[in-house]
Amino acid sequence: MVEDWKSYEPLLIPDIPNLHKIDVYEDNGGYEAFRTVLGDQDKWSRKNVTEEVKAANIRGRGGAGFNCGLKWSFMPEPDDRPRYLACNGDESEPGTFKDRNIFEFNPHLFIEGALIAAYAMSIDTIYVYVRGEYIDWVNKFEEAVEEAYEKGYIGNNILDSDFSVDLHTTYGAGAYICGEETGMLESLEGKRGYPRVKPPFPAQKGLWGNPTTINNIETLANVPLVINNGAEWYQSIGVEGHTGPVLYGISGHVNKPGVYEYPAGMPVMDLINDVAGGIRGGKKLKALIPGGASTPILRADQLEGVSMDSNSLREAGSMMGTAGMVVMDEDTDMVDLLWRITHFFHHESCGQCTPCRDGTGWLEKVMVKIKNGNGEIKDLDLLLDMTTMMEGRTICALADAAAWPVRHTITRFRDEFEARCKKSVHAVA
Amino acid sequence: MPEVFIDNERYEFEGDHMALQFILDQGMEVPFFCYHPSMSIPANCRQCMVKAGQYIKDDETGEYELDENGERKIRWFPKMQTSCALKLQDGMVIQTQETSEEAERAQKDTLELLLINHPLDCPICDQAGECPLQIQTYKYGPEGSRFEVKKVHKPKRVELGPRVTLDAERCINCTRCVRFTEEISETNQLTIVSRGDKNYPMTAPNQEFDDPYSMNTVDICPVGALTSTDFRFKARVWEMNQTPSIDITNGKGCNIDLWTRDNQVLRITPRQNKAVNDYWMPDEGRSAYELFNENRASRPSIKLDGSNQSNTSWNNAIETFAETIEAHSGDDVLVIGSPHASVEENYALNKFFNLLGASNARFTPHIIDGYGDGFLITDDQAPNTNGCRLLNLNETDHKDLATAISKAKVCIILSDNLVGRKVVAASDLGNTYTISFATNMTETAKASDLVIPITCVAEHAASYVNIDGRIQRSFPAKETKYTNRRLNLEMSEGRLDRYGTNFDNWVSEEHKVDCLPLWDFLNKLAERLGLDYHVNHSRTILAEISSAIPSFENVTFEKMDEQQGIQLNLDNQKIKQK
Ligand SMILES: Cc1cc2nc3c(=O)[nH]c(=O)nc-3n(C[C@H](O)[C@H](O)[C@H](O)COP(=O)(O)O)c2cc1C
Ligand code: SF4
Ligand code: SF4
Ligand code: FES
Repeated sequence: MVEDWKSYEPLLIPDIPNLHKIDVYEDNGGYEAFRTVLGDQDKWSRKNVTEEVKAANIRGRGGAGFNCGLKWSFMPEPDDRPRYLACNGDESEPGTFKDRNIFEFNPHLFIEGALIAAYAMSIDTIYVYVRGEYIDWVNKFEEAVEEAYEKGYIGNNILDSDFSVDLHTTYGAGAYICGEETGMLESLEGKRGYPRVKPPFPAQKGLWGNPTTINNIETLANVPLVINNGAEWYQSIGVEGHTGPVLYGISGHVNKPGVYEYPAGMPVMDLINDVAGGIRGGKKLKALIPGGASTPILRADQLEGVSMDSNSLREAGSMMGTAGMVVMDEDTDMVDLLWRITHFFHHESCGQCTPCRDGTGWLEKVMVKIKNGNGEIKDLDLLLDMTTMMEGRTICALADAAAWPVRHTITRFRDEFEARCKKSVHAVA
Repeated sequence: MPEVFIDNERYEFEGDHMALQFILDQGMEVPFFCYHPSMSIPANCRQCMVKAGQYIKDDETGEYELDENGERKIRWFPKMQTSCALKLQDGMVIQTQETSEEAERAQKDTLELLLINHPLDCPICDQAGECPLQIQTYKYGPEGSRFEVKKVHKPKRVELGPRVTLDAERCINCTRCVRFTEEISETNQLTIVSRGDKNYPMTAPNQEFDDPYSMNTVDICPVGALTSTDFRFKARVWEMNQTPSIDITNGKGCNIDLWTRDNQVLRITPRQNKAVNDYWMPDEGRSAYELFNENRASRPSIKLDGSNQSNTSWNNAIETFAETIEAHSGDDVLVIGSPHASVEENYALNKFFNLLGASNARFTPHIIDGYGDGFLITDDQAPNTNGCRLLNLNETDHKDLATAISKAKVCIILSDNLVGRKVVAASDLGNTYTISFATNMTETAKASDLVIPITCVAEHAASYVNIDGRIQRSFPAKETKYTNRRLNLEMSEGRLDRYGTNFDNWVSEEHKVDCLPLWDFLNKLAERLGLDYHVNHSRTILAEISSAIPSFENVTFEKMDEQQGIQLNLDNQKIKQK
């Protein structure tokens, strides 16, 4: 657990006015990392860059927490095929809204990270895929890209080196599933966002069948920090096993919702009470969804001593996800909450896999029944059984993401659910 | 050799194999829907779940590691695997529903989920009886359903195009139809629209599903979502009778099945033959069933005076035929064989008239340049052009044939609509005595002086040589007035054929055509003429051909049946591929 967080100075989104402008960014050391790498390609060979990033263990901020540099090392040796970096800014998981702040306040940090990644993996084309509802941020981001092109950070023979890369921005049409990495690849190819069966993995067969790496926006924004300061320095931020700065998106019943940057491993209660100003209206905390709607909900009594890092959250019975924390006070109706979550996943299932396509709909419909007071105890057991019918049996993790909240919300708040299943309460009595 | 262990049995394998296909190849079963051996593997139905793992091998010794009980150690994969997309590895262990309760449970769960939004309208669904969803539900599905909430509703009776109708509620979203138009017919006319449990296949806005192969999607749709607009609600599959045959509408010779009920062909579907048509056939070939039922030449007819034909008796037809022949010398008789008729018919006819002193039969190929698509639709509009060539019939172009007709006193035409396909005009036939052996009352038959009705491909066993030189044969599917299923061992019997009585629907004499196989008629004619000619059956004709003509050496019905057709020697100059 991080103790000294109060003295932490933001690194991803420092409080510098107009940092989104390239001149301001450069004045504050921007593009230094990229210059360093391109300027000394002996020291910063492609392999060395990858090794450094791997040693830093930037855990993927898109939700799965995979070591960024390790993922890069899966790319095959260059051949005559094109190679792609697909940057995931789809950000559609309920409770998650942190990449948006990077697009708005520090887009060049991400661009710089993406460029270094492209260099390290000999990539010639970068795609940035942004959530469609973020059209204002797409526009802002495109201005930043244009500036970077003008300054010669993107394009041919960048900074007089032999490295060339292009960057294209594109956006989705409102589907959560296009944030799943292979769903995104299909979408980028202009197809329906149907996630692909793996293997083959994107590094082998990604965009148009060519080697491709997919990283989250925030993940890549960490890369220049690692190059500038070294893996060891990066490892000193946060806690063992989960390092570096994290953008915590805090929403729900707090006084000051928002995106806050602190090290990984922040004490959960400090984030809620100090950073986000405590529970609204002086109410009591009831529950927390720590990392986006798919991560298992934790009761207030499960949060004691828990910190926002993968180990601590796993021990507590949940996951880090995207660090999009949804805070709920004592008035929150867990049945309503769970219905709303099942509604989301029902709405967003792409519909390929039977367990997900039909399971998500069934989950929601049973939740509606319970919510409307027509539930029976057997419905709860049915819901729990359905989570088994869905989990681990589909092409992508959306079915798991839909099943977990059901399983954990019901088991962790069973009384509340049973109380709503009036019918059988009477029948049994 | 690499080995795998499936349900505790050891199997060796070589090369790349996916578990599902490998299991099916061993004659075992795992239920599946979306997988199709000729298309990409989307693994989306999740029906083919198996439990899988890997025996652990010691890197150094290469031996399997053993546990304390001396059993091989297994590393199970953390999740169930879809066997369709599971590549076999050396030392892999697979447990299907036969040996793994987990696999059995997963398969049952998937079926329960597939059915929650399915309308369960089997009693009125065309697919019932041949429906993978129905069959696999009975076999692997749950006893009942726990689904007590509302089903999703979707569009019904959507005419996707001229030949295919969609009931989106029945769709299980396996994407076979979409993949067919992407990967096989390459028209890309179908896609899935909408998301999650609301999705269904559809054409692009304002687009029609008029793919020339569209009806193959009806065959591969594992439920009754895609139905043939033409066949819809016409028959229950279990009332029909299925007979293997050959598509005679073009030169490819797609292998097909004729589906009959009460001696009417009700539909045609492709029959798999890797060497010819795989699982597919063009839509055009499917509408040929009408030719077998409608507008048939039934009872001989004769032109008495003027242009009016009227039916006559077989005796009178034979007598008239014989008198005409007797009144002319062999030189006066022009015999026209047909690429639309079988090898046996062309051979028998030619031989018969050779014996009478007529010169070799001619034939005119029926080819439309540019009509073919390089896949299963060919320029050649006839099923047996190469058969005629290999029989050494005299290949004659339109002009020469018209000249020959104008010089002949008697003209014998074997089922070929020369008038309809504009080789000659009806008036060209006016100056000669024209005798047509006809399956259908075509313009040519109607313009003839004497029409001898003969059996069509649906009524006889006969062979055809396709554009690639492959000889394949038909089986009798329909009875004629003179045949009986119970006596003809080549004919299959459906439930109604076997047990139906005249009190049943779909049992009648109505659809039996009054026609004879060409060779039967020639026997009768030979007897009347006192000619030394007799053949029993197309089988004996083929035996004769096979000993007389080298290209047909060793060709028999039995061999064709065993090998799904026989590739004839292509070195022969006469074979043309078009
Ligand atoms: C249903 C679903 C939706 C997802 N949506 C997003 C998303 O919006 N943004 C994102 O970065 N990752 C998303 N992911 C995770 C990605 O699949 C992938 O793991 C991630 O982009 C990899 O980047 P990282 O390793 O840098 O985290 C999603 C995953 C699933 C299963
Ligand atoms: S799990 Fe759901 S969202 Fe993912 S591919 Fe399957 S149906 Fe689509
Ligand atoms: S219509 Fe049939 S073939 Fe097409 S997706 Fe649905 S079930 Fe599959
Ligand atoms: S057949 Fe394997 S998933 Fe459909």
